[in-house]
This record gives sequence, C-alpha cells and structure tokens, in this order.
Amino acid sequence: MNSNTPPSTSVAAGSVDPSAARRNSKRPKCNLLSLAHCISAIPRFFGFRFPEKMMPDLRFTVHPAGTSSLQANSDTAMGLIQLPLSVQVISAFLLVSIVFIPIGVASLLASHDVVEIVDRYDTACIPDSARNDKVNYIQSPGNKTCTRNITVTKHMKKPIYVYYQLDNFYQNHRRYVKSRSDAQLRSNGSADDVSSCEPEDKSNGQPIVPCGLIAWSLFNDTYDFSRNGQQLSLNKKGISWKSDREHKFGKNVFPRNFQNGSLIGGGSLTDSLPLSEQEDLIVWMRTAALPTFRKLYGKIEDDLQVNDVVMVTLENRYNTYSFNGKKKLVLSTASWLGGKNDFLGIAYLTVGGLCFFLAMVFTVVYLVKPRKLGDPSYLSWNRNPGWH
Amino acid sequence: MIMMKRFVYINDDQVSHELYCDNRISNRKYTILNFLPKNLWEQFSRFMNQYFLLIACLQLWPLITPVNPASTWGPLIFIFSVSATKEAWDDYNRYLSDKKANEKKVWIVKNGIKKQIKAQDIHVGSIIWLRENDEVPCDLVLLGSSDPQGLCYVETAALDGETDLKTRVVSSSCMGIDSELLHKIKGVIECPNPDKDIRRFDANLRLFPPFIDNDVCPLTIKNTILQTCYLRNTEWACGVAPFFSGNETKLGMSRGIPEPKLTAMDAMIDKLTGAIFIFQIVVVMVLGVAGNVWKDTEAKKLWYVEYPHEGPWFELLIIPLRFELLCSIMIPISIKVSLDLVKSLYAKFIDWDEKMVDEETSIASHATNTAISEDLGQVEYILTDKTGTLTENKMIFRRCCINGIFYGNDSGDALKDVELLNSIEAGSPDVIRFLTIMAICNTVIPVQSKSGAILYKAQSQDEDALVHAAAKLYMVFLNRNANILEIKFNSSSIQYELLETLEFTSDRKRMSVVVKDCKNGKIFLLSKGADESILPYAIAGQQTRAFVEAVEHYAQMGLRTLCLAWRELMNDEYREWSLSFKEASSALVDREWRLAEICQRIERDLQVLGVTAIEDRLQDGVPETIETLRKAGINFWMLTGDKQDTAIQIARLCNFISPEPKGQLLMINGKTEDEVRVSLERVLRTMRITTSEPKDVAFVVDGWALEIAVTRYRKAFTELAILSRTAICCRVTPSQKAQLVQLLKSCDYRTLAIGDGGNDVRMIQQADIGVGISGREGLQAARAADYSIGKFRFLRRLILVHGRYSYNRTAFLSQYSFYKSLVICFIQILFSFISGVSGTSLFNSISLMAYNVFYTSVPVLVSVLDKDLTEETVMQHPQILFYCQAGRLLNPSTFAGWFGRSLFHAIVVFTISIHSYAYEKSELEEVSLVALSGCIWLQAFVMTLETNSFTILQHIAIWGNLAAFYVINWIFSTIPSSGMYTIMFRLCREPSYWTAIFLTVAAGMGPIVALKYFRYTYRPSKINTLQQAERLGGPILSLGSIEPQARTIEREVSTLSIAQPKMRNPMYEPLLSDSPNSTRRSFGPGTPFDFFQPQTRLSAGYSRNCKDN
Repeated sequence: MNSNTPPSTSVAAGSVDPSAARRNSKRPKCNLLSLAHCISAIPRFFGFRFPEKMMPDLRFTVHPAGTSSLQANSDTAMGLIQLPLSVQVISAFLLVSIVFIPIGVASLLASHDVVEIVDRYDTACIPDSARNDKVNYIQSPGNKTCTRNITVTKHMKKPIYVYYQLDNFYQNHRRYVKSRSDAQLRSNGSADDVSSCEPEDKSNGQPIVPCGLIAWSLFNDTYDFSRNGQQLSLNKKGISWKSDREHKFGKNVFPRNFQNGSLIGGGSLTDSLPLSEQEDLIVWMRTAALPTFRKLYGKIEDDLQVNDVVMVTLENRYNTYSFNGKKKLVLSTASWLGGKNDFLGIAYLTVGGLCFFLAMVFTVVYLVKPRKLGDPSYLSWNRNPGWH
Repeated sequence: MIMMKRFVYINDDQVSHELYCDNRISNRKYTILNFLPKNLWEQFSRFMNQYFLLIACLQLWPLITPVNPASTWGPLIFIFSVSATKEAWDDYNRYLSDKKANEKKVWIVKNGIKKQIKAQDIHVGSIIWLRENDEVPCDLVLLGSSDPQGLCYVETAALDGETDLKTRVVSSSCMGIDSELLHKIKGVIECPNPDKDIRRFDANLRLFPPFIDNDVCPLTIKNTILQTCYLRNTEWACGVAPFFSGNETKLGMSRGIPEPKLTAMDAMIDKLTGAIFIFQIVVVMVLGVAGNVWKDTEAKKLWYVEYPHEGPWFELLIIPLRFELLCSIMIPISIKVSLDLVKSLYAKFIDWDEKMVDEETSIASHATNTAISEDLGQVEYILTDKTGTLTENKMIFRRCCINGIFYGNDSGDALKDVELLNSIEAGSPDVIRFLTIMAICNTVIPVQSKSGAILYKAQSQDEDALVHAAAKLYMVFLNRNANILEIKFNSSSIQYELLETLEFTSDRKRMSVVVKDCKNGKIFLLSKGADESILPYAIAGQQTRAFVEAVEHYAQMGLRTLCLAWRELMNDEYREWSLSFKEASSALVDREWRLAEICQRIERDLQVLGVTAIEDRLQDGVPETIETLRKAGINFWMLTGDKQDTAIQIARLCNFISPEPKGQLLMINGKTEDEVRVSLERVLRTMRITTSEPKDVAFVVDGWALEIAVTRYRKAFTELAILSRTAICCRVTPSQKAQLVQLLKSCDYRTLAIGDGGNDVRMIQQADIGVGISGREGLQAARAADYSIGKFRFLRRLILVHGRYSYNRTAFLSQYSFYKSLVICFIQILFSFISGVSGTSLFNSISLMAYNVFYTSVPVLVSVLDKDLTEETVMQHPQILFYCQAGRLLNPSTFAGWFGRSLFHAIVVFTISIHSYAYEKSELEEVSLVALSGCIWLQAFVMTLETNSFTILQHIAIWGNLAAFYVINWIFSTIPSSGMYTIMFRLCREPSYWTAIFLTVAAGMGPIVALKYFRYTYRPSKINTLQQAERLGGPILSLGSIEPQARTIEREVSTLSIAQPKMRNPMYEPLLSDSPNSTRRSFGPGTPFDFFQPQTRLSAGYSRNCKDN
C-alpha cells in the first residue's frame, strides 16, 4: 500500500502492526489546514498527476520515546493523492469562497424577503406642548393614548410579528440582570427567596412576587391594530418560549405585592393569573444581550397587502425619556434565518470574497515566484558553518 | 568544641536513655493533625495560588461576583485536593516504609541476656547482634565479630551503590574479647555530633573495668557499620553500640529534600504570567474608572437600575473589583495542573524510552526530577566528567615500564609481551618487586569462590586491573587473612604481614602499605600513586627521567598511569613512625590532615620501580554524541581529576577538540598568581581574535591555575568561559567542579553536568540539570542526579529528542493556555462596553468553569504527542536545537503573537455573535452560547493548525472534544436552573446559529492560515524548511554537508595501541609557541618537578578541605 513511499523511510513503521495504519488511514494528510484535505480529490478532477518525489511522507508516532505503537505512512491506498502544500492551501481558500459566496447570497436574499416596518413613536407620541419635559409628561397620570398610521409598503404574509424595540436600554446591566429570583418564579414555595432581588425585593416587609428590577420595570406600552377601521386580531398567546411557560414560570405562582411600593416602575400584572400565563412578563424577563433589542408583543394572523394602512392605537406609558431611549414599533415577517438582518449575508460575501482574493494572490505568487520547499540551502548552517 | 561532642555509655541504659533519641525512623513530612494546615500553608506559599485564593474569596461577595463562586471554587478545590492527595499518598507510603523498618526485629543484649526487640526500640548504647545477611538497623560501632581477627564484611550498596564488599574491623581494644564477655562489656564512646559524611567518623573508645585497657582506642569509619548495609561472609558480628540512631544516622542525616529546580521555561512562564497580571491590573483600572464614570453620568439616569443616591463607602471599589473578577480568568487556573501533568508525562517518556536502555546492563534511563525536561532542550553548556562518563571505566592493564624498559609497546598488551614473561621467568628482582606491589599494594579483598577461583572485590577499578594483571603474570594474590597477605608466585607461596595501610586520598594521590616479609622479617614500604606524588620523592640519585618520559608517553595515548615505588624500612624507623601514626589516627581534630603529614614522613626516598599504564576505553558512541551535540551549539567542558595529557588525549579521541588546522589548544598555567595572570591574559587575547574565525579554540587549565584564576581573576576567567566553546580542566577537585558550574550559571547559561562518581555529585547538584551515569563507580551520582542514564551516548537522545520535544510542547501548551483564557476574557471585556461598563458576565458560571476544565484542557494535553520534526531529522540536523536554546518558541514576542491572536479571535467571535444575534434574537443566554461555541470551534481549528503530527489520539481529542462540548451543553440545557435551559437544543435547530459558527471559523482562521502559509512558504524558519524537506521525502533527503560523517572511531582507537608516534605530534606541540606550557614541558636538569611544589600544594589543599568541612 505504500508504493509511493520511499522504502528506506518505512523502517520505523515497518515494525508496527498493519491495523494501526488502517486505523489511521482517515486522518487528514495536511498538517497545516485540515480543510485542505477535504479537497484532496481535486487532482483527479483536474487530471493532475504528481511525480512521486512530491508525495509527502508523514510519519506519526505516538510516544516520542520510541515506544511508538501507532504509526502510519502516507495512505495512497485511499486513492487520495498528496498535493503540494501551496495547491492545498489555495484550493482550501477557493473552496471556502465557493461555499461561502452562495451562502452569503442566500442569506441576503432571505433577509431581503423579510418585510419589516419600523415606526419610532417615542417623540411623536408626546404632545407638542409636553415636548420640553417629556419625563414629566410620562410620569404624570393622564390619558397617553396616541395613534399612529403605518402604511404597508410590500405584501406581508402571515404571521406578522409585532415587536417593540427599545434602544439604549441596558437590560444587560450588571445590577439589572442579576435582580431576579428564578426560584421564586418557578415555585410557590420559594416566594421568600428574594435575596438576589435587591432593591425590589420586599414591599412593606412582604416579599414581592415577581421580585427584582427586571420584573419591576416591565414594559407596559400597549398596541391595538386596526385596518380600514376594522380591528386586526392580535394573537398574544404563545409569544413566549414554551419551555419558559412550562418550567421556568410556575403555574401556581401568582403575583403578590407587585408594583405597590413607593416607586412604580413599569407595568403591573393581573393578580389572578399565574405567572406562567403572563406572557408579556415572560418575554420581558428574557433579558437582552444588547442595549438595542426587540421583544415580541404579538402576532397578527393576517396577511397585509401593499398600501394597507394600519392604524395603531397605543398607550404610551413606558418611560424611556429620562435616559434618551427610543421606542419603536416593528411589524415584520420572518425567513429561515429569522428577521431582517443583512449582517450574515454581507459577512459571508466578504469572507468568501476575501478568500477568493487570497486564493488568487497565492496562485499568482505561486506561479510567478515558485519556491522550492524544503531546499536544504535555506538552512543557514549549510552556508555558514560557524552559525549556531 | 565541647558542645560538638557526645559521650555514649555502652550497655548503660540509664544514662543515655534520656539524652539521645531512640531508633525510630521518621521520614514523614506530616502528621494526621498537622496535615491540613501544613499542606495548605505550603500550597499557598506560591504566588499563583495566593492569587487564585484571593480571587475565590472575592467571589464570595455576591455584590461583585459576576458568576457563581463555584466556578472558581470548584477548580480551585479540585486542584488543591489533587496536590494534597498526592502529598498525603507519598507521606502515607513513607509512613508505611518507616513502620516496616521500625518494627523489624533485631537481637539486642540487655543485662547480659539476648532478646529480640523492634528496631525502633533500640537505644543509644545498646548492644546489637547481627547475623550473616542481616541488614544493619542503625549505625554501629563494631565490638566483636566471629572472625578471629575481628574482621567483618559489609555490602554498602544501599548506601553508596558500590557492590563490592568492604571490610570493617573490630576496634583494637575489643579485639579478642570472648563473645560471652561481650554481653557485659561497658565503656564509653566519645564521638562528635551526628553528621552526614559517610566516609568519616572520628571517635574514641574507652572500656571500663573489667576490660581494663587504659588506652583510648581510636575509632574510624573502618570500625563502624552504617545503617542499611548488609553483613556478608561473616557468621556474626557482635554487639555493637548504636551511637547514632533513628534520624541521626549518617544515612538519615544525608537524606535531604533537594531544592526544587526551576527551569528557564518556568521562569519565562512566570514572567509572562506577571506581565499578564500587570495587564490585567491595567485593564481593571481603566475599566473600573470608565465604569464609575459611566455609572455617574449615564447609569444614574437609568431609572430601572435604581442606583441609590448615596452608596456605601466602598462604592467606588465595586466596579473595579467586579472587573478584577471578570478578568481573573486571564491567568488560567488550569495552566499549573496542565503543566505539572505534561511534565510528568515527559519524564515518563524518558523512563519508557526503549532506545535509551543500556543493552549490556539493561538499565533504563530514569528521570528522577520530573519537572525540568524542558531545560534539557535549552542546554548551552555541558560539563562532563571523564572517567566512567566518557570512558567505560573498565580498566585494563595494557603496558608498563619497569626500570626504563617498555613492555607491551609492540603488541599493545604487556601481558603477552614475551620479554616481560622472560624476565619474570628469569626472576629479575625489579620485575618481581613490581609485580608484588601490583598484587598487594591495595585494599582488594580476594574471595575464594566455591569453584576455587579467586574473585577480587576491589573498590578501585585501577587496583582491580592491577591485581588481575599481576595474577596473569603469575603473581596471584591469594588471600587476605587478617594481617597476613598471601601471594603465590610461580607456585611458591609468599606471605607478608600487613603492618599499616596508608590510604589513598584525593589530595595525597597515592597509597602505600607497610608490610613485613614473613620469611626474613624485613619491612617494606610499597607505594603506588600518580607520577607527581611519587616521582618527587624518589631517592636522591635515582634518575627519574625515564619514568617521566614513560608517563608522558602513556598519557599521550590516553592511558592512565601509576608509578610504583618501594623502600625498605629499618625496624627502628618503622617503630618510631608507627607510634606517631597511631597517635595521628586517633586524633579527633584534623585527623585527615595530620595523617597525611605523618604519611609524608615515611613516603620519601622511594626507589621508583616503574610505571603501569591502564587503558580506559571510550564508551561506544561518545565521539558521535559529542560531535552531534557540539553541532547543536552546545559547549562542552571536560572536568577531570586526571592528568592534563590524558585529558587532552581523551578530548581528542572524542571529538572534543578538532585536529590541528581547525582546532587550537590554549594552555593556562603557571604556578604563581602572576604567571597565571599573564597566561590567562594571553589566552584571552588569542580567544578574542579567533572568535571571528571559524576556528575551534579550546583552553586547557589545571586545578592549580584554575584555583588562582577563579579566585583572583574571576572577571577575565568569566569572559574566557563565555568566549570559549570548549574547555578542558584537569586535576580539578569536586568542589572546583561545582565552582565552575556556578560560574557558568552566574553568566546565565543553562548548564548540564554529567558524571558517574561520587566526586561528581556536587557538580551534578549544582548544575541546572544533573545527569548521572549509573556506572561502575556506584550509584551515588545517579542518585543525586535529575536524570540517570546508562551510557553517555544516550545524552544525545535525551537532549535532542526529549529535551527538544519537551521544550516545544511546553512552549505551545503554556502559550495556548494563555491564549484560550485571553480569548474568553477579551470577549467579556468587549461585552462590558455594550453592557454599560457594569461588569456583567456574558457567560454563565457553568460555561466559564467548564471552559477551562473540560472544553479546552483536554485537546491541549494531547499536544504532548506532537512532533514538529521526526526524531531522525532532529538527529541529522542537531543545529535545530538552536531554536530551543535561544528560547525562540516561548518569549515575549511569540507570546505577543498569541496575545494578538486571542484579541483578534475575541473580536471576531464577539462581533459575529452580537450581529447575527441582534434585535429580536438578542437574548442573553443565546448570545452567550453562540459566542462560547464560536470560541470552542476556533480552539479546535487552532489546535489543528498548530499540531504538526497527527495521530488518532489527536483527532479524538480535538474533534471528540468538540462533540463533547455539544453533549455537555445539551445535558446542561435540560437543567432548568443551569442558566441555559433548552438553549443549546434551540440553537442547534436554528440555521442562523450554524451560519454564524461557520462564519466565525472562516473569519477567525482565514487570516491566520494565510499568514502561516505565507510564512511557511516564503519566510520559512529552519524548522519549517526541515518540515518541508520531510514532507517531500522524509529524512532520507540528506541535506548536503551536514550528513553525519562516518568517522570510524574504531580506527582511531586502534591507532592508540599501534601507532603512537603518529599520535605524538598533533598533541605535543602547544600551538601557541610562546605558551608557558612549552617551558613547563622541558624539565631543566637542575629543577626537576619543582613545578609541582608538593608541600605548598598539599597544605593548601588541606586547609581548603578543612574549611569545607
């Protein structure tokens, strides 16, 4: 099987049982990039044949100490022919670009198929008179209903996801993200487990359920959708993760003492509903990793046609004004990659393109300035015996 | 002085019981009670451990901890319990072996009755009975023996590794006491406090009535049997008072825990750790300040964070401390465990190496010190002993010169020289006397085996050779029966009474015996010794010129010479002298020195008989080994106690110095300070000039000049040491050997000392790496050494294969460990910029803990199997070792490369995960796992890229680990409280997860592969070039001129015996014509040997010895 192996090198391997070689026969040949070995079949494709001298002979020994038990020689038995390193590397880069560019195109197409309507309403929903002191407006009681008209630019197939998007909202802040009690959310018996919930752990000496800053700051803007004066049904069931409803939020855990402290944060909860059915809370409690995030509000189970005007009646209650946060309403369809996000597509195209470019550069260099590898004359001690 | 002595009363329980300890041996480090505190204290005395402990303690503060404290406490406790368990296990084994030794039954005599007790109950002053083949339970002074002459034989192999039998003799005052009486013997032994010198014991014995013997009887080491020796060939040895017992025995005292050696690599890793620590502090401070500023300006506006208006006093510290904890993983807790583990693997590789097993003795190589294998790859200087290290230490008597007549010159074997045989037959008196000295002037013990053949038990290989040669020349040493030496010459038996033995010491360099011819009652002094300690004492009028020439002639052939001389003593002279000798030998103070002086008094006016020449052949493969290692850029120094000529000759034979046109020998010598200075300066000048030329310059220095050079002209000598690649130091003492090692170490060179005998022990312990050859001179050196090998030639493999691979592997492993920790740490830092610089951890506790413990540590461990080049290639191109010596693979700049790579990878992973998981997918737990998976995938590919040789194990480790990552995460994803419930299942179903991961891999690895490929192809290092050569055709592609030259050493060795005139020239003329050596050579007729200055030199030696002791 080692017909291409110079006989004198197989001395060390000769003593090894042949099964070791068989076991190893699937290992990649290339010690630089294992991807390269995936394309070892390319030479046949191109009709290359390489002179025997160029076949690398890689020998592997497990123990450095000569008690080697696993050794293998170049396995031409597999029909894989070893290529010069340059060809391997260039092919690897080419392969990556060949694979990546289509994926990039597909991702971009998927992203472009997604129809997304974003409507920023945080400023627009403040009456002109109150624009100077938005914080005061949002904190003072009163009717804060606001109406927005959204024109659909492209046909939107159901289900249409309704998100609210907050910008500059640090759900990942150290103080915020830790301020919750999973044990309390899960079971009724752990209502007193509020030690991690500071400063929203207790109200008047009674534990708050659900405790902590996250629950306390629950987003409480509400949206109503109508088209041509006709109510669009909004499905708010199933917007949270099933696993959360079933295992992280208890069916027999009911809100208690919630939002009755001196300071009211965000939304309040229906005391009669168990936490597992308070899906807005469940969604909100999945903290976001980035300061800009969208959370699912509901699903419109209806197609929207081009030029449809959707009227949104919203209650603008949530305070993002004190920290200059933005509030946006997002209507979006989904593709296999999720929502509209060009990043993956562009990144794939860039990486694929760069790989292609590198492959071309290496090819040119390889052809223009071939370098004989392993030339002993590069060993400086062969030129200058005094070197050490 | 009084305090230094103790008095031991024999057979008197009351007195000594309370005073001195019992015989309980305890080698234990801990007791059950103090184990935990003591062990913890020891572990926490290391900086790294203190650091980890501090971090772990900080994590107990929930306000600042980013993660569950278990993520640090878990690994920390694990690591500590592993080391503690190991310590406890070792200590338990020590306890078991102690217990076994302590509970061994021994017979003692108490109040005149023999009884058996446990060894631990022996008290100072009890009398102990030993039977043949008993192990000696504690140090004993011999009081009686079954032998009528009071002799007994002991085997000291356990003590010093020498397997020959040694005689021990009952002290003279107890000689001949009946065994029954011995039970009741009383007396006092006056002895110094316990020390660990196993070659010395200066004490006195006085017996009480009724054994009236008013004389104070001197005791020497000859009158003792030390612990762990075995009694042989003696029916019983009686009742001996243990004067040192338990942990105070000589063996107990000389057991010591050697100081741990730190490799250059460890030092570098420590340095890099320190740098990372500083970097960490800087990061923490910058982020801490930024965090506080952000908090005051921005976070106060975030109502949902509810910062209190007035925080506690330590508020400003909270954010920096949080970042400290977040960044604490920069210094990976796993690196210590991994390093310890791989180091012990390297040591095991050495132990397992079949190519380093001595076929003759089947002694395998052994790494006693498991922690310093990397240093082997960084050796710059090798200091080697000559005898037994380069040579076989198998002495064969080859030639001799009796009264100016050379025997054995033609055949190369004096034993077959017809002329010699003829003169023996003719009964030439000089020749017979010569043979007599060869036969009896020694300490050899003839043992009659059952078959009737005589076996010689000799302590010195030279003596062994001489006795054997004498026996072949019909002068058979038959029996040493107490004081009667019986020899058989041509079937007639001759008996001599041995009166005194003037023992060999390395300072006197000669030994003599005083014997009385039993036939005619004449007393003779028979001496043998080095030429310079015999010839100057020749009787006035005897021409020693011929002997000087003979000595030189033999030395040039690399033979060891001994001069034999005799003198007849007058009865009166002897009697007078023997009195002062007895007195000196019972001296408690300066005994050795006084004895030497007394000996000097009688060893004069010698009638020199001739010179013997003993061949000590080079070991197999020594020249090749030295040539290869010299090519690898290692400098060789030969330190020997032998003569200059012999040393130079051996040096030539084993490629130490190149032959004439290329090589040049510079002599440093001189007898006064000035001469040494002049000579040293001249050599230094020459050396400076020749460094630019490709010339092989070596300097030769002898012990005397060396002493002056090192003490007076240290600076110049140090410069010389740095300039010179080769040096030969002859006539050096063990302490000078150690001094030279110290000198080279002080210049920051990595030194390796290799030797085989007790005289090399100090040098071996002093050097960065000590290698002992388990040879004929016993195991002392091998025991003190870090590595023991069977033959010198294994040194090549030890350094080039084991040392080099160890260095490469540790270099990779340590940097990789930092790299992987930095990646995760940088991601945390980057995340802090989008989380309000508040110190949120992106990763959950489980991921952080498992990252270091499971996900990344397993693949890196298989890098101990990685080989960048095959062994054959390395052996063919030893120059490649330069990369290790110069520390090319682990230094701040390579580390900067890894640092940059970790930063790059962190940016790639972070950017891709937060952008592909943005908006509605921006869920903290998901993003965290996407980033973690990205890291793990990148690690797998980095490992693949950096692995040079793949075996199935590597694939299992790398790809199996990747699979294990998913399995572990799936398992955690089923636990609701894990902080990642269902996340992994969810992610694995999402196409966007997989696209993000592949993107991460391609974007992370692409530039690195491209860069590596470019370097490998267009800017290859020497290692790359050889790798390419291997790829192209394996090591058969012999690369030009560096193919090892097939020098036939056999030919050269044979010339040694045949054509000496040819050998004479290249070595005789010092190349520097004005070298003072040339003057030294030509002995003027008026001043023969006054160079040696025997008196001053001896006393100087002694005073030095005294100081040392």
